[in-house]
Amino acid sequence: MSPTTTKPTATTGKRPWRWSETDMSQQQTGTSQQDGPSANEQEPLLSVNDLKVHFEKESQSIFGETETIKAVDGISFDLTERDVLVLVGESGCGKTTLGKTAVGLQRPTEGTVTYRGQDVWTAKDRLGDIDIPFREIRQSLQIIHQDPGSSLNSHKRVRSILEEPLIQGSEDLDWNQRRARILGMLEHVGMAPAEDYIDRYPHQLSGGEQQRIALVRAFLMNPDVILGDEAISALDVSLRIEMMDLMMDLQEMFDTAFLFISHNLSNARYIAGKTGGRIGVMYLGELVEIGTVDKIINDPEHPYTRALKWATPELDPEDAEEKDEMPIRSIDIPDPEDPPSGCPYHTRCPEAKEVCATEEPSLLETDVDEHRHQVACFRSQDDHAYWDSDPIE
Amino acid sequence: MSDATAGADGSTEDKYADLLSDEEGVPAFESVMETRETRRERYSRKFDTYVRTPLAIMFEDWRAVVGLLIISTYVVVGAFGPMVMDPVLMGEGEPLISPFQNWQFPLGTDRTGQDLLTMTVYSTRPVLLMMGSGAFFTVTVGTIVGTLAGYKGGALDTVLSTVTDTFINIPGLPLVIVLSVIIEPTNPIIVGIFLSIALWAGLARSIRSQLLTLRRESFVESSQALGVPTGRLIRKELLPHLLPYVVINFVNAARIVIFSAVALYFLGVLPFEDSNWGIVMNLAYENGAHYRPDALHWLLVPVFAIVFLSVGLVLLAQSLDRVFNPRVRARSSEGGDEDESTTATTAMTGGR
Amino acid sequence: MSKTDSLQESRQDESTIMRVRDLEVYFDMSRGQSRVVDGIDLDLKRNEILGVVGESGSGKSMLAASLLDAVVDPGVTNGEVTYVEEDGTETDVLGLSKKELKRFRWETVSMVFQGAMSSFNPVTDIRTHFEETLIAHEEDLDEGMERAKEIITDLHLDPERVLDAYPHELSGGMKQRALIALSLVLEPEVLVMDEPTAALDLLMQRSIITLINEIKEKYDLTIVFITHDLPLITGLADRLAVMYAFQLVERGPATEVVRNSAHPYTRALLKSTPNLQTPLEEMRPVEGSAPDPINVPPGCSYHERCPLATSICETEDPDPYDVTDDHEANCHHWEETLEME
Repeated sequence: MSPTTTKPTATTGKRPWRWSETDMSQQQTGTSQQDGPSANEQEPLLSVNDLKVHFEKESQSIFGETETIKAVDGISFDLTERDVLVLVGESGCGKTTLGKTAVGLQRPTEGTVTYRGQDVWTAKDRLGDIDIPFREIRQSLQIIHQDPGSSLNSHKRVRSILEEPLIQGSEDLDWNQRRARILGMLEHVGMAPAEDYIDRYPHQLSGGEQQRIALVRAFLMNPDVILGDEAISALDVSLRIEMMDLMMDLQEMFDTAFLFISHNLSNARYIAGKTGGRIGVMYLGELVEIGTVDKIINDPEHPYTRALKWATPELDPEDAEEKDEMPIRSIDIPDPEDPPSGCPYHTRCPEAKEVCATEEPSLLETDVDEHRHQVACFRSQDDHAYWDSDPIE
Repeated sequence: MSDATAGADGSTEDKYADLLSDEEGVPAFESVMETRETRRERYSRKFDTYVRTPLAIMFEDWRAVVGLLIISTYVVVGAFGPMVMDPVLMGEGEPLISPFQNWQFPLGTDRTGQDLLTMTVYSTRPVLLMMGSGAFFTVTVGTIVGTLAGYKGGALDTVLSTVTDTFINIPGLPLVIVLSVIIEPTNPIIVGIFLSIALWAGLARSIRSQLLTLRRESFVESSQALGVPTGRLIRKELLPHLLPYVVINFVNAARIVIFSAVALYFLGVLPFEDSNWGIVMNLAYENGAHYRPDALHWLLVPVFAIVFLSVGLVLLAQSLDRVFNPRVRARSSEGGDEDESTTATTAMTGGR
Repeated sequence: MSKTDSLQESRQDESTIMRVRDLEVYFDMSRGQSRVVDGIDLDLKRNEILGVVGESGSGKSMLAASLLDAVVDPGVTNGEVTYVEEDGTETDVLGLSKKELKRFRWETVSMVFQGAMSSFNPVTDIRTHFEETLIAHEEDLDEGMERAKEIITDLHLDPERVLDAYPHELSGGMKQRALIALSLVLEPEVLVMDEPTAALDLLMQRSIITLINEIKEKYDLTIVFITHDLPLITGLADRLAVMYAFQLVERGPATEVVRNSAHPYTRALLKSTPNLQTPLEEMRPVEGSAPDPINVPPGCSYHERCPLATSICETEDPDPYDVTDDHEANCHHWEETLEME
């Protein structure tokens, strides 16, 4: 049951949004194009190019040097309309930083973030010709945080929290129209009777309900991309599928692309699998493998992806017992201030050879899956010097 | 706590099938007409939020009631007192009549025969003005500086913090004394502002720290993502968190202002035109009232006036904190036991 | 086999190390009595790893706390919690005096609390934490610290580095391991762990699970592992107990409970848990939501959400039915449940 989208307008890139209410008929804002290709259809929605985000860490002593932490070190990917990409990795791999940079909440040190062809930070700094004003970009890129308790202002009631996106939005609504939409959305996400909920404070809601409010707030902005920063990690395992289903439902209704961050491969599998999206595996600020569920979960190529898969708990105990050998040489992640040379994973990789310490593999497309699969490992290249090199001690 | 879901009416998919209209392929939501809120309901709700609930919360606490009573008394006396009573005249009564002797001079008289009660009443207005302006200035400047420094950070923060720190380090009372001697302010409002020059910096510093923490909260980032302009963000998102602190500081500043004022009048630093409590104390002291039992009341009457006002302010400050606590507000506006159940539930489930 | 018979048997069963009967924990609140543990019977076997699985708010943390008589005030704990030593001596845990309880806790039954990573004192180093624990229990300091170092090494940490560190200098995984070491320093028999891997990464989580197995072997422990994440412990636990609405609804060997669940809630839970194997189309969320502790539905507490519920479920709270010798389920329709897909 997926409604067809109307194509975005060429100039604003914003899709008209229509609410029909029984006693109030709300007409379309702006122009809408039913048929006919739009120039933007060919272009990716959000594009991240050779992104680098480095943080300076001040040294403790007066004489020490400032250390640079390369949270994100040269990552590129594209998101198309309604695309789903899940970034997976351990803590410290930079996935949150990457996510926030991609939605314009963090300024990159190098590289660009492009929204429908418009460089986001150029728009913000108002340099040169701007096709899409920053405010529009800002509102098309939304975020849902991990901890619902702190992502909702404890001093504001639900009504007030949810009115804000409608007030900031481009449509001019009176308070009754806003109220109607808020009630409609609350009912849709299962918080009924909605009139009860709008007067509540966040502390009067359960964790799942709070997260749904955060979800509604993001969607009421009618964004093009939503960043879900570990958005379900704070919920009980048994509630996660419900929340992911809800997100996918809303995604279809609002035609939004999702950029998910997760440290849990099982969750990534569910949401990427159900939407036909991709999973991107990050390690120490770089993408080491990216592809569909078929590849990443069922046939991972990169040794790190394999390690993550091995570490993911199995449901059936007998399957669990079969896993013994730890496919990783050390549990602890290297210090991000002092990343390894060559391939960043070589210090923990069971297949590492000497060439891995000197040369860094780039993220290359494989022939699999209509080129939707990329991996950064010499082992995927048949004719690389890797195969002749000696194993590392 | 339980999650409400949409399972009651059958499967989720079916329920919302008719909510999705196929008009031009864009989703549509139907609203239920009965949920329209009338203008009257809306104002009633706002009244509830800003007036009824705070008052209800405050009246639950005896301290608020007593504090408010005391302060209202002073305000009424200050506002209407001089209209009802004639100003003091020297020699209108016998000098140094003891208090509680007769109805004409209930609190006694001073050395020149002036009625102490009337003098107290007449002093109330300038004192309140002084307090009010001092507290207001302190709080306003302190909050603005602290908020800008804490939220914006960077160069602005450095500049503002340097200014703030300078003011913190300048000894307050000597500064005010020096300024008063040079400028000789008489208008109570100006005096109030003068006295608060030394106070705003402390508040600015605290507010800045609070903001440094607050701005890292996820809800601030969410608001930024929504494109909320900075001014509105500070006003709507951050200020409610600061308000309890600000209000309490307002009341405390008022107290400090009045004590400082009294001290300065007592020391004879501030020039006086009309009489006020500090001045009365000054005169009383100069005439040795503190070791003359028959003149002791001359000194004590203004002292008690000040102390009572101070007590009223302290009580009010203590109880105002609750007004801004969302858990207390929730409980009060709904009349349910939400607060209790939430905290108990947290204890029961061990947090999660 | 009737319930009394099986009770008799377990009373004589030498391998039981802790026995829980009719355990209830409740809080009196103005809107009613909140029963967060509602009549639980449980046998903990010596040297086993028992996994207690349930949603947040199902009462599992309270169950854990009651094993040490550590339910916070104003909660009331009733029932029988008995600790059985190897020679058969029984101790009534809930009846211990304050002084006896102090010895019992940490020396016999120790606990790693939820969110424990923040339970370190940020201004003291790890060594001090250990020393304070030893001193509080009047143990020999030198011997105790030697033991501590050994345990820390067993957990794949460098004792010197860890002991001299402050809590903020350690990573999440290291803190968790240090905490486990702390809970073992007085050589307890039973270790209760409440979500010990909650905030950790996949690889660290996995390694700690393996470690738990290792130390259990080495230190001869019995472990109660509480979590809402079922796949986490299916490999680790010998037996599983599933909690729903403040009661146990299924107990049995881990493999049995996962493969042949006899309670509809367990089945629903398995289907709603994201994992890497179950085909995506088969996964579905659990319908409805967990009940309020003040307002538990009559009869079987799960009947409002259960696809198999019939009229008997609305009136009669099911007693445990035997599915096999050591697999029990509190469901009137357990046979039907076994047939469910």
